[in-house]
Amino acid sequence: MAITGYLAEFSLAEIFQFLEQSHKTGLLTIRGGTDRCPSLTQGHYIWFRQGEIVAASHETGGQGLCHLINRRGWLGYRAALRLSESCPPGTPLGLYLKSQNILGADQLKLLFYTQVMQQVCSLFALEDGSFHFNSRVTIPSTELTGLSAPAMEVTLAGLRVLRDWSALADKLPDAHSSLINTTRGRPTLRLKSTEWQIWEFADGHTPIHKIAHRLNLPIEKVRQIAFRLIVVGLMEELPLLGENLSVESTESPQLETLPSVSEPVPQVQENELSHSFLQSLVGFLTGRN
Amino acid sequence: MQIMRLIVTGPVGAGKSTFIQSVSEIQVVDTDRRATDATTLSLKHKTTVAFDFGRLQFSPKMALHLYGTPGQARFDFMWDLLICKAHIYMLLVAAHRPHEFRYARRMLSFMQHRSRAPYIVGITHTDKEGAWELEDLPIALGLLDETTRPPLVVVNPRDAESVKRSIVVLIRHFIQQRKDQKAPPRAATAVTIAS
Repeated sequence: MAITGYLAEFSLAEIFQFLEQSHKTGLLTIRGGTDRCPSLTQGHYIWFRQGEIVAASHETGGQGLCHLINRRGWLGYRAALRLSESCPPGTPLGLYLKSQNILGADQLKLLFYTQVMQQVCSLFALEDGSFHFNSRVTIPSTELTGLSAPAMEVTLAGLRVLRDWSALADKLPDAHSSLINTTRGRPTLRLKSTEWQIWEFADGHTPIHKIAHRLNLPIEKVRQIAFRLIVVGLMEELPLLGENLSVESTESPQLETLPSVSEPVPQVQENELSHSFLQSLVGFLTGRN
Repeated sequence: MQIMRLIVTGPVGAGKSTFIQSVSEIQVVDTDRRATDATTLSLKHKTTVAFDFGRLQFSPKMALHLYGTPGQARFDFMWDLLICKAHIYMLLVAAHRPHEFRYARRMLSFMQHRSRAPYIVGITHTDKEGAWELEDLPIALGLLDETTRPPLVVVNPRDAESVKRSIVVLIRHFIQQRKDQKAPPRAATAVTIAS
């Protein structure tokens, strides 16, 4: 069994949330794309270590970082490749080049930004495609800068710049749902002002459409921001009951013990059930009676 | 007459109806109710909600009633009626349908905020292609804290014995919760194979 599926069913943002929260190490492969995004029809490879993204590439040959260094004009491709061959096993190529005074710390950061943030963020727009996570893959040190980013931080950045939300349309929280804070204290992620405002409305009572009204924002915009705060683990969607509902008929003989909807519904008192009742039921189910 | 009410909830296709049918001594009642709200009534639209009902009478004055929540996505008064009268509930999730995990999270969020009844998570369809590993499912369902996580049970809704074993796990969890009310909280993580 593996972690596998289709992006239309389990979005990239949800995959990242899952991989970070379960501290996974391995390779996430994304395949496919749409005709609208022909550049995304190839394979995409994202390496994780303990839930953090450590590298990303469009190829599996382990030379993606050398190509990026070459594109930046810092080293020729062949020179970078030769240096990568002398890189000690297990040492990230980026750190090796820094130790050789070939790249500086800022260059490494820029390299990581290009490799991970730019390449991965474009994948959030993918509508079609499949994913597969393999935890038995060794991370190629020639693709590593030595830097890493929490997957949910990449998600936050990726969804902030996402313009076409059609791939995620059916994942967004319902406009009639409320939001509930799932953090202890204030979030440690750096949020934008609108994100803070919506997070502060995560009280479990205020429906999204009312939040939108109070913040003078389009409902769709609030749903999108709420989704990205949900998938980075700051809140959960809490569905609210439909308002002003009533029952037209109540014919079920099994419902006679239930109160009508106009009455306040009491919570069941657990003490109603005797110990002998529970023992008898367990005995019956286990065939001991 | 003592009656224990067990709510079986979960996304469409998780096996709720089959679960109840497997152990119910009566033909499962699929009840239909029409619910309307002021807005939809004014637009002449109707909303239909349905739930399954099964019964297990194990002594002249003792019975277990099983209710399956509506398969629709909307959370309405029927949900509230069921939840607020529940002694225990079980969330069924199909391991091979990751697209339903988010909806399962929404359901869980709703249930936990409407009821303090003890619950467990029943994992179904673990033998299907594309089924996720058991150890990955609590995280995918947002149950991150191992100390407060409910027991997870692998259950085959078509197998009456498997269903019974899962109900036993739930009842024992219920008994334990009652005991814990008088004692400090403790870790409740457990994975049980009931299939």
